Amino acid sequence: MNERLQRMSTSGLLADRKVTQLMGFTTFIFLIFTIFSFNIFFTPENFRSMAYQVPEIAILSIAVMLSMLTGGIDLSIVGISNAAALVAAYIMTEQMSATGEISSLWIIIACLSGILIGLICGVINSILIAILNVTPILATLATMTLFNGIAIGITNGISVSDLPKQFIRVGNGTFFGIPTPFVLMVAIAAFVGFLINRTGLGLKLLLIGTNRKAAQYSVMGDRKVIAWTYILSGFLSSLAGLIIAARTSAASPDFGNSYILLAIVIVVLGGINPLGGFGTVTGVVLATVVLQMVSSGFNALRFSQFFYLAAQGGVLVAVMILNTVLENRRVNKSINKSLES
Amino acid sequence: MNIRKLLRRNETVLIFAIIIFSLVIGSKSPEFFTTANLFDILRSSFVQLLFALGVLIVIISGGIDVSFPIVGIFAGYTAVVMMRKFQLNEESLLIPITLAIIIGAILGGFNAIAIAGFGIPTLIATLGTAGIFRGLMLSFIGASFISDIPVGLDNFSTADLIKFESDAGTLVRLHVLVIPVAVITIAVSLLLNRTIFGRSVYALGGGIEPTRRLGISIKRTQAKIYMLVGGLSGLAGILYVSLQRKANPYDLAGSELDVIAAVVLGGASIMGGYGTVFGTVLGVLFINMMKNNLVLLGVSSSWQRAAVGVLLVLGITIQAIGENRKSKRQKTAANKEKE
Amino acid sequence: MVSTKTLNYSVENIVKSFGGAKALSSVSMSVSGGEVHCLAGENGSGKSTLIKIMSGVHAPDSGIIRLVEKEFSSLSPRQAVQEGVQVIFQDFSLLPNLTAAENIALPTYIYENSRYINKKSTMKIAQEALDLIGVDIDITLPVSEISIASKQLIAIARATNLGVKMLFMDEPTTALTRKEINRLFTVINQIRARGVATVFVSHKIDEIQEICNTITVLRNGSVVADGLMKDFSTKQISEAMTGQDVLTTRITPELKSIKQKVVQVSNLSAIPTFSNISFSIAAGEILGVTGLLGSGRTELAEAIFGKYQVDSGEISVDGLKLPLNSSKAALAAGIGYVPPDRLTQGLFLEQSILRNLIAVGIDRYKKGWGLLPRKNLAQVGDRWISDLKIKTKNPANPVTSLSGGNQQRVVLAKWFATNPHLMILNGPTVGVDVGSKREILEIIRDRAQSGMSFLLVSDDIPELIQICHRVIVIKNGKISKEFSESELNESDLYKELN
Repeated sequence: MNERLQRMSTSGLLADRKVTQLMGFTTFIFLIFTIFSFNIFFTPENFRSMAYQVPEIAILSIAVMLSMLTGGIDLSIVGISNAAALVAAYIMTEQMSATGEISSLWIIIACLSGILIGLICGVINSILIAILNVTPILATLATMTLFNGIAIGITNGISVSDLPKQFIRVGNGTFFGIPTPFVLMVAIAAFVGFLINRTGLGLKLLLIGTNRKAAQYSVMGDRKVIAWTYILSGFLSSLAGLIIAARTSAASPDFGNSYILLAIVIVVLGGINPLGGFGTVTGVVLATVVLQMVSSGFNALRFSQFFYLAAQGGVLVAVMILNTVLENRRVNKSINKSLES
Repeated sequence: MNIRKLLRRNETVLIFAIIIFSLVIGSKSPEFFTTANLFDILRSSFVQLLFALGVLIVIISGGIDVSFPIVGIFAGYTAVVMMRKFQLNEESLLIPITLAIIIGAILGGFNAIAIAGFGIPTLIATLGTAGIFRGLMLSFIGASFISDIPVGLDNFSTADLIKFESDAGTLVRLHVLVIPVAVITIAVSLLLNRTIFGRSVYALGGGIEPTRRLGISIKRTQAKIYMLVGGLSGLAGILYVSLQRKANPYDLAGSELDVIAAVVLGGASIMGGYGTVFGTVLGVLFINMMKNNLVLLGVSSSWQRAAVGVLLVLGITIQAIGENRKSKRQKTAANKEKE
Repeated sequence: MVSTKTLNYSVENIVKSFGGAKALSSVSMSVSGGEVHCLAGENGSGKSTLIKIMSGVHAPDSGIIRLVEKEFSSLSPRQAVQEGVQVIFQDFSLLPNLTAAENIALPTYIYENSRYINKKSTMKIAQEALDLIGVDIDITLPVSEISIASKQLIAIARATNLGVKMLFMDEPTTALTRKEINRLFTVINQIRARGVATVFVSHKIDEIQEICNTITVLRNGSVVADGLMKDFSTKQISEAMTGQDVLTTRITPELKSIKQKVVQVSNLSAIPTFSNISFSIAAGEILGVTGLLGSGRTELAEAIFGKYQVDSGEISVDGLKLPLNSSKAALAAGIGYVPPDRLTQGLFLEQSILRNLIAVGIDRYKKGWGLLPRKNLAQVGDRWISDLKIKTKNPANPVTSLSGGNQQRVVLAKWFATNPHLMILNGPTVGVDVGSKREILEIIRDRAQSGMSFLLVSDDIPELIQICHRVIVIKNGKISKEFSESELNESDLYKELN
């Protein structure tokens, strides 16, 4: 089954074309919604709101992208992000005095604790997947249940809210005029893109995703790389969780349950390119923007949020069909040439 | 089959686990061993078992389906809505059940098109279709909670096969569903073991290329699988609506984890090719026994999911360790095949 | 029941291309019932493609398939089976999760369009099939637990069970001992007598001379010889398969000194696959290792590289003892390994040639912060492309753009780049066109001359003779004989193997 998951990557030759295609698609969607609901869609408030919502989803999608690049998948990202958010929120609310004041030190401690949770969850995933050789789908389904379950158990299903003002400011403030979460997202995207394209770890990651067996025969410490991938995924998920908490001033065990579908749609739309390339991360960010525009546009057009859900599913299936058709054509051409004996 | 092999089989381990847990729970609170409680565990297992049988078939074939609870509630809810809208005989039980099964099979057909027709990987395909189905249902069929379901369905929820009051004064009820569910369970087992279709499902899980070379049509087998699962899920959905005595379109979503956990713990390998109905039944009973009776151990119900999570992680860890040991021993055969 | 008309199966003017590469150019072949027809050719000749076309796995671009009186422009696998065409592929196509009995019996059920199966009749069908070829195996076991030699017999039982009319056997003897080959030939003679048309695909000349009546030789996708077996001499067949213009003279380099042993293996054991293996290799020496499939030769090679679990023994490189069972340690000690299947084990097909070239030992290219400097990598790539004469215009092209021979050079270069003391090569010229084969051997010779030691695992006897200083033969997990330089000749090697 992992083989099939691997083969759903797009053609390397289409890679950069994909980014330009996506840019074209983004513009197209933008125009459509601008035309059909100018008053609500094409407003600074709407753009601002989108700019605040895109980062958390983009970061989660980048996390999924990493695991998919290695030929696996991390389904536990939302479980991790909620867990991280809850831990941070809990510490913050505990340390908050009656007046709602809290020292910056405690905020930092709370955030670091959240990140620590993300790393721990990532390590648990790594142990299952890299050491015990459990298939990623099954392992992360299990850990998703576990993390989510522990979060529900501890909080009794009730969200933690009214977080400290300084913290909320990060999620809703600006950094030189640009929404702070957006800046964080760009930094993270740049970091991951750099990791994939310029470092040894990134190259190994791509090679392992291309052919795990050959990677093993090439003695590159494939298990270590996979372990790091899921730890990194956990780390990114925790960051996303913190951003969500800062933006919504709340942390709950069940937030964003539909985000996992959204993240996968975005990664598939943005193209997981086995060759890597900066296009990969750019593609993911662009795809996030596209889907956020669709969500916002649907909202402006008074479509129900459920229609957006159906649209996500529809986009996923449509892009997969397109990919599979193109992939079959490409694979048949080049691989059969060398396979023939 | 010699004793050592029997002991290593997944089902045996599960039976032991069930026995141990029963003793642990029972020792803390003897209410566990009452007939009332055991019948309750059964009752809460019916719907899950029907879902699980469908999931089992998919997993044996080497795939995974996460859309089945959505298919279930879609079919159940829509059946009820249709009965209202078209003013069908509200006392009938057969009509909503048939409707739900058909709707389920149609939705399964869409899965079949995506997977068999276009070759989309099963996880991604069913993740997508789940979103489509759920979104379309809540957008166009209705998002409202229906508490007054058709009379036939409503009455069915109290159709008990056995009903009496125990000495302690509690009501002991065994729902009549135990019969049809048992029949379906046996039927699925026979399907998997005694028909070419069933063996094709196992063959698919064992390898696509050898299956193709046998002359088995992979696409047709997959199409049948997903439509069958759809129908089963539809049935499970309408029965759920009946037993709950309400049609809530937001229900069932998120329950796929429990069902998949049950099937995996029951011994089905996620890589495909292995799995039994007996194991699945044990898995469902085990999970339900856990969930329903944690309360008896003094654990609040908000820890149910975590319990399932722990079980699942433990279960896959144990299975993985066993797999790793087995593959080291079989390295001789495997390496020779590489040549 | 004797039919007065002999059934005939043939293909006419079959053309097949994959992408830009032509696999078959206007190939025609005819086989009659009661005949054992040899389809001979080296790897890369197009044999597999022809089989796949006749059994319905691929459709030809043009040409006709004639099965008795019916004509087809293409077949589906199901149609082929219904017309009585069966193939026993090299991988046997068995389902590991089902029992041997089911694997044997399933095709019968499918052929008869049955909907139901029951255990009793499955066992009966399977047992009868095995009795037919005189084999006794526990058919209640799942195939995953059965040895490879038995698996092949199960595959044969399965095929012959279906009342097959035309049977392809693709390299059927690779895993069999002489005794089992005899048994197989007995069975083939039996089905020949029953009027089955058998196509025996092989490149082993002595075997095809023993069992076949007629022969077709393919080379580079075309028919180069066709006719009665008795009309061809061994030399003629060999030349037809390999093409006369390729040299097969010995090119083993002169060994400077055998005293300085670079690699010493002592009492290496991995029960039950191999036991007490000991040998040594000097600097610049090429040691050949051969044995039948299943003898333990691949496992031995992988064990020295740390990839196959060993129980005991010692390996030392340059005097230093190696930690066992660790590829990382092996790589660090200067051992490299070229696996037998380059497509699934050696190459990263979607990646560029450059990335494939640097895939081993990526860490040594790293600078500060784990960065990979692009310019240096490009230089490394250019160097190896010119060193090993890899035919490509651009190292950024995907490695799939290369021919088989060039792809193999990439795998070799990848390992040469680590400057190993010992290179273990497992079937390095398999699936490589005949011209490239020689060139790859020359590459090996050149490296050996500079002092690199080689362990060459191969079942290609002529190849071993061409390049090795010494050859050891593995039988049932033990070294049965070591051939020194003077003792090395083809007929003795063949004899020892069988």
